[in-house]
Amino acid sequence: MIELVIDHDGVNWNAKNEVLSVSSPTLDGLDLALEEQMRNKGLVKKGDKKKVFMAFDNSTIPQWIRQYAQHYFNRVVEISG
Amino acid sequence: MASINRKWYSGMTTQEDWWAVWLGLFFFVMGFLSLAGIDLVGWATYPRIWVFNPLDGGKGDIASAFHALGGEYSLTSKEFYGGLGWWSILWTYVVFTCATCLGAFCMKWNLRKFFLGWTCIYFMTIATWFVGHHAFFAANTINCEKYGLDFALSLGGGASFILALIVGLIIGNFFKPFANFLSEAAKPEWYIKTAIVFLGVKVGYLPIKAALTSAKLGKEMAGLTGELFLAGAVATVVAYLIFWPGVYTISRLIFKLPRKTAAVLGSGISICGVSAAVATGGAVRAKPVVSVMVSALVVVWAVIELVVLPGFFTHVWPTTADPLVAGSAMGMAVKTDGADAAAGGLLDEFMRNKIIIETDGAVQWPEGVITASAVMTKVWIDMFIGLWAFVLAMVWVYKIDKRPGETVLPSEIWHRFPKFVFGYFATWFIYLGVFFAAGSGAPEGMDTLLAAKSGVIPVEKGFRKLFFMLTFFSLGVITDFRKLAEASFGKMVWVYLISLFLFIIPVAMLVAWLFHHGMEIPNIAGTVM
Repeated sequence: MIELVIDHDGVNWNAKNEVLSVSSPTLDGLDLALEEQMRNKGLVKKGDKKKVFMAFDNSTIPQWIRQYAQHYFNRVVEISG
Repeated sequence: MASINRKWYSGMTTQEDWWAVWLGLFFFVMGFLSLAGIDLVGWATYPRIWVFNPLDGGKGDIASAFHALGGEYSLTSKEFYGGLGWWSILWTYVVFTCATCLGAFCMKWNLRKFFLGWTCIYFMTIATWFVGHHAFFAANTINCEKYGLDFALSLGGGASFILALIVGLIIGNFFKPFANFLSEAAKPEWYIKTAIVFLGVKVGYLPIKAALTSAKLGKEMAGLTGELFLAGAVATVVAYLIFWPGVYTISRLIFKLPRKTAAVLGSGISICGVSAAVATGGAVRAKPVVSVMVSALVVVWAVIELVVLPGFFTHVWPTTADPLVAGSAMGMAVKTDGADAAAGGLLDEFMRNKIIIETDGAVQWPEGVITASAVMTKVWIDMFIGLWAFVLAMVWVYKIDKRPGETVLPSEIWHRFPKFVFGYFATWFIYLGVFFAAGSGAPEGMDTLLAAKSGVIPVEKGFRKLFFMLTFFSLGVITDFRKLAEASFGKMVWVYLISLFLFIIPVAMLVAWLFHHGMEIPNIAGTVM
């Protein structure tokens, strides 16, 4: 499984690791951009499916809020080649 | 560096929630050692009611306005702790500064800023604690003569809570640069979660305390805490299945808010405030800014409730006729653990003083039962937020957004579970175990119960009250009422106002009455506890 860290900068969702880096205003757009980049980099082959785990970077939540809640979300998406 | 929750143990050393457990359990264990004859917590500082000019032989000498609790309750070091007097403030400061700074260090906060902020907050809190214990505020009309006064406000320890909140609010609203300076250490939620672990000690100790006067009273108290535990469960059903759909419907149908905003607002207003707003924001995949905005509103409104509801419940309805109805309603109505526990603490002080005055001292309630009823209800609500967010996530991902290929992870329930409740239940059940193991008040177990008492009181009374005070003060510091006037909040302020006062509070009062009406707190008048 490929793992990425996801956050939101106020405009775009951003997901990245050492190899991949994608941005989009919507999560649907993010998943599509990721699919395209993974294909281009050969990380998913045609006809294959690959699971991608995205863990939200909770350090981007304002510090005063983190004492109340320290988890936004983690998600898993399946990328098709 | 990114902070992610990947494994089940993620955040154990880096999150406030876990640090509330570690701090709470550490001091619990230190107190628990009293059962082995070792008193390590007797230095806990605590105020007494004082006056400037006490009567000859009367109470209230200012020289003993602060004392170490071990001086009264220690079985092994009474003389040593008894000699600390006002110095106990420094002992408490040093120990808790080390403990909280260790937490701040592990959580990678700005240690210097935290230390300076903590030091200011601690000593300002102690100052308000001291002022709030002047007999004019804290004594009641029955005992004020002992202090040479003809009249007293009868606020009990509530006066200190109110003063701490007022001073905090003044700083937070009129001295912004100073509030920013304190911000690294103004952590009401961390302090209250730690205090709730100490409250677990209190709830477990209540039967022990009662059993030390009579075995029958001890069993009654054990039964009452058990009833509160079960009755509190109903709050979960109310918050999730009545409040949430109601607020969501108000937001959507009347105020035409977008679906995701309505969901986040619904959780923030009706479940458990900021933590619910953040959990729901993540569950419905809302932009984090939605949760942040709702959270800012929640904090302000929770403080408004904290100011209004304890007085309302004490003097308008249900008054002293049904104190546990009031406590439970508080737990359902006030969002954020800090504001709820603080409001419960205030209610406890108001109610206990009112019943003493109403009955001319013939009825007295043990301290902490009403607070426990408010917190018990809230803890139940807190525990299910992870499950609720999981359900919402499935609804959104699979039914509303219908995003192909996305899976909702069950591990999300764990990541959103409030960890401090482990400390609360552990400390409660361990002391309850001591009560039963010692024979539930049987004569042969009295030595054990007395040994437990000497270690419990500094924790459940000294540390818990101190952390309540820190919570009141910090809540004030981080609450900025100007937020309500910010145009960006627009309709959300009105949804909050209408939902809270016309829907949530009335329903909370009704449901609390249905499930807690008639539950009685044992009368301890005439017993030495």
